[in-house]
Amino acid sequence: MSGVIVHLPQGSGGAVGGRPHGDTVTLRLGPGEVARFGRGSTTVPVELRLDDPAISRLAGEIRVSDDHWQLTNHSTTHSYLVENPEGAGEYLRVPPRRVGAPIPFEFSRVVLPTRGDVAISFQVFAPDHVYLDPDAMGGPWGNSTVTAYSLNETATYFLVLVALCEPRLRDQSRVAVPTTPQIVERIGGHLTGGELTARAVSSHIDYLADEKLRIGAPGAHEPGKGERRNGKREEIVGLALRFGLVREEHLALLPPLTGAGGRERQAAR
Amino acid sequence: MRPPHGPSDTTDGDRADPLPPGHRVGDWVVTRLIGSGGWSTVYAARPAGRQPDRTGGHPDRTGGTAAPPGHADVALKIMPTAGLAPRQARRIVESARREVELGSRAGHTRLIGLLESFVLTAPGHPSLEGANVLVMERAAGSLRDLIDAGVPEDDRGGLIAGICEGLAHLHRSGWVHADLKPENVLLGRDRSVKLSDFGLATELTGTHGYVPPLGTLDYFPPERWRAPLGELGVRVRPTADIWALGIVIHEVFASGASPFPGATPMARGAAVQEYGQGRAPLRMDHAVPPFWRALAADCLAPTHEARARHTAESLLARIAAHREAPGSRAGRRGPRARTAVLATALCGIAGAALCSDAVRAASATAPAGTVQVYNAERDCRGQSVRDPRCSLGLAIDPVRPYTAENVVATRVWHGDILTADCQVADGETIIDEEDRRSTHWFRVHLPPGSEPPTAWLPAVRAKDGTALPECF
Repeated sequence: MSGVIVHLPQGSGGAVGGRPHGDTVTLRLGPGEVARFGRGSTTVPVELRLDDPAISRLAGEIRVSDDHWQLTNHSTTHSYLVENPEGAGEYLRVPPRRVGAPIPFEFSRVVLPTRGDVAISFQVFAPDHVYLDPDAMGGPWGNSTVTAYSLNETATYFLVLVALCEPRLRDQSRVAVPTTPQIVERIGGHLTGGELTARAVSSHIDYLADEKLRIGAPGAHEPGKGERRNGKREEIVGLALRFGLVREEHLALLPPLTGAGGRERQAAR
Repeated sequence: MRPPHGPSDTTDGDRADPLPPGHRVGDWVVTRLIGSGGWSTVYAARPAGRQPDRTGGHPDRTGGTAAPPGHADVALKIMPTAGLAPRQARRIVESARREVELGSRAGHTRLIGLLESFVLTAPGHPSLEGANVLVMERAAGSLRDLIDAGVPEDDRGGLIAGICEGLAHLHRSGWVHADLKPENVLLGRDRSVKLSDFGLATELTGTHGYVPPLGTLDYFPPERWRAPLGELGVRVRPTADIWALGIVIHEVFASGASPFPGATPMARGAAVQEYGQGRAPLRMDHAVPPFWRALAADCLAPTHEARARHTAESLLARIAAHREAPGSRAGRRGPRARTAVLATALCGIAGAALCSDAVRAASATAPAGTVQVYNAERDCRGQSVRDPRCSLGLAIDPVRPYTAENVVATRVWHGDILTADCQVADGETIIDEEDRRSTHWFRVHLPPGSEPPTAWLPAVRAKDGTALPECF
């Protein structure tokens, strides 16, 4: 369990002391930690600065609690929306002055209203959600030995992981780990929540490596970035298969093979 | 996104079906189910060819040389692999391999003994074909059972010392247990502590070992929550066991409560991390006596570095010094008294539900004499309510150690009048809470339909009865 990650895209504000419309901001909060957000000022400090005149100096705060996080809305007039980008329209509305609304999503986009056409939003990831082991034989689980790295098998990152592991699951090939374009081609049209871009696939792979599996340090020190990416994919696939996080049964999550584009070998069996 | 699905949904029922008593596994016959975990099911078993123990008469009793019955009773840990994908099956095999390797190379009186292991061929039972079977010593219960029932105050120090001895041996031999918790601390028939479940135990290479990404959330040290997963698994060090020991010490002295607040393992895990990152202090229950609180606090030092000074050896030395110190409660009673108290607490788990009103009803048709039950705890006398904590046990066999294995389901309370037909003078020595000791036992009748039909009440738990004839 490592808390939550708050990610503010470029051009929405910045960290304390940053330039207006500054760079991307990423905050990592451990259990019990709090991050305030808003327009901020010298008297009202905030950890996450949202640069829009319609947003209060202290607009709200995020508090990490157990394996999820809570949102407090300091606005007296505006509701905030918390959307689940993978949830096909799932969202929560946090009314004005609500304290500590628990947010159940692993991926959230917090949307604050502005006077303009474009709302200000930032993302919060909560990678610590725990899932029961698929092969646990029922019964109380509180004291049982469980997998300490659990994956949401309905999430897009899991589909990406299965696609990465597919060649080795199907024919034990040790060499073939698909490239990003191959993954986009394999599962791109299969998602209900919209299309999958190459960039999204890369972020899912980073999320798996950094937050879900917490792959050890070695790759981080290698120079060439392209090389590191490939190493990271290999490593994800190796670990997911070695520790049974992805199994043959998960191949059913992928769309059926069409037998086209270099997959004739499997189709011919 | 489609809902998750897979073969695991269809194989569940098949794998969960318990084996019936009498089922033969290798050279062993299943007698009952003990419990099932994530990947295994544990059964009590006896060697094939030996009949279940009979109770009542004891032809060998006077000779005193017969091997104690139940000596060869074992626990079978069965880990099915049928229906699993090859990679899952490999995990089971790996877990069995760790247990076998540790059992054969680092055996110790504080570790549960592994008698044999084999892979099952069961043509008639497809769900068991290829299952890994570990044959182990059978214990009377686990520390979790005892914590749930209430650990007698005088037993606590000895239990912790026993766990510490087991850990000291493991660490000295270069192993890390990696899943220490009360469920995996078993209590032997002779009240000894035996660590078990070495499915995650790992041999150190240098200062680290590697384990699969598995564990029990409530016993993870702070650093484990952010531990990276490497090619060999997750890195663990002996200090992870020391942390878990700190949690167990607190649980033993604080009625099973973790030192970390929270209603769920995740909430407590979050509290562990807050503490580990220095944002929350350690708040232990005041029920934990000062010596043990200091010891647990050292085990629960927030970082590996701070914990490393407190090895199992050094903790053991501190416990030994404390127990020998004058005025320490541990020295007050003989070991035998602790056996009796421990047995009473353990058997209270299963037996408390049965009310001894039925015992009294049976006494109406008394064929021989009667004995009246006497409870040495003053608080338990003069009570009208049948408080389970005041219940007393009856032995199945007066010449076997008075442990949970050797106690019938029926409980009795102070003042109950039981039908008794005879007595023995040379049973196990029982010492009560007032230091009265006796080797006399009375054979009493249980309610009609009980199995066995009779049981044995220690003379220290009875008034009258001295006029009963000798049993033959």
